[in-house]
Amino acid sequence: MWIWQALSGILLTVLLVVHMVANHFVVEGGLRTYADVIHYLSNPVIFLLETVFLMVVTAHALMGVRAIILDLGISPAADRRLKAALFALGTLIVVYAVWLTGSAVLRA
Amino acid sequence: MERSLPYRPVSEHVARTPWWRRAAAWADLHGRREGWLAFILMRLTGIGLVFYLFLHLTVLSTLARGPQAWDAFIALARSPLFVAFDGVLIFGMLYHGLNGLRVILLGLGVGSRRQAELFWGAFVLSIVLTAVAVRMILMMG
Repeated sequence: MWIWQALSGILLTVLLVVHMVANHFVVEGGLRTYADVIHYLSNPVIFLLETVFLMVVTAHALMGVRAIILDLGISPAADRRLKAALFALGTLIVVYAVWLTGSAVLRA
Repeated sequence: MERSLPYRPVSEHVARTPWWRRAAAWADLHGRREGWLAFILMRLTGIGLVFYLFLHLTVLSTLARGPQAWDAFIALARSPLFVAFDGVLIFGMLYHGLNGLRVILLGLGVGSRRQAELFWGAFVLSIVLTAVAVRMILMMG
């Protein structure tokens, strides 16, 4: 698990910088209005990039949550349930966010 | 073989210590070194960033409620309290990322003898870059 946390962490430093620069510095003054955000997300490359960023950040965050809980000492059976619950939560987060942004872009 | 742990081992003696003494021990800095500080800060910033991730997604759900809801949020985001919160967030992200690189190096067996200096480097760089970022936010308005 350590290696995945490290690899996703390195990937996140790159994706986070791209996310911040794209959101705050590409358009003069940054994305502010509703129209700015929708226009930004309607670029398919950006949409894919933001979705990949969300997937990696969610995986990294939930692996971190599991690492903290494992440090408290839980049984292997509890860990299996924990993994299943975190996987379901992560999937829910990504599906919800893609649905949210996707439907907002399609409506515009 | 004695190993250095990021926390103090719980002994029989500790278990017999009254709770208020154990609680006070959290504030006792004797024997606390950079490795412990780096670990605790990594945990705290990590927990904070997980909460922020959920908050960020909740805020983005205003996109589904149309331009009025979104613009109301943007007005809130430009308030001084929110900018102060941004500063805390930016420090958390920078420290978590920079210390993460330190942890990766140490995990690969690189720089173990310089781990304390690496921690202070990550910590000070986080503060400096946070100051730069907050200044940019204030200048952009």
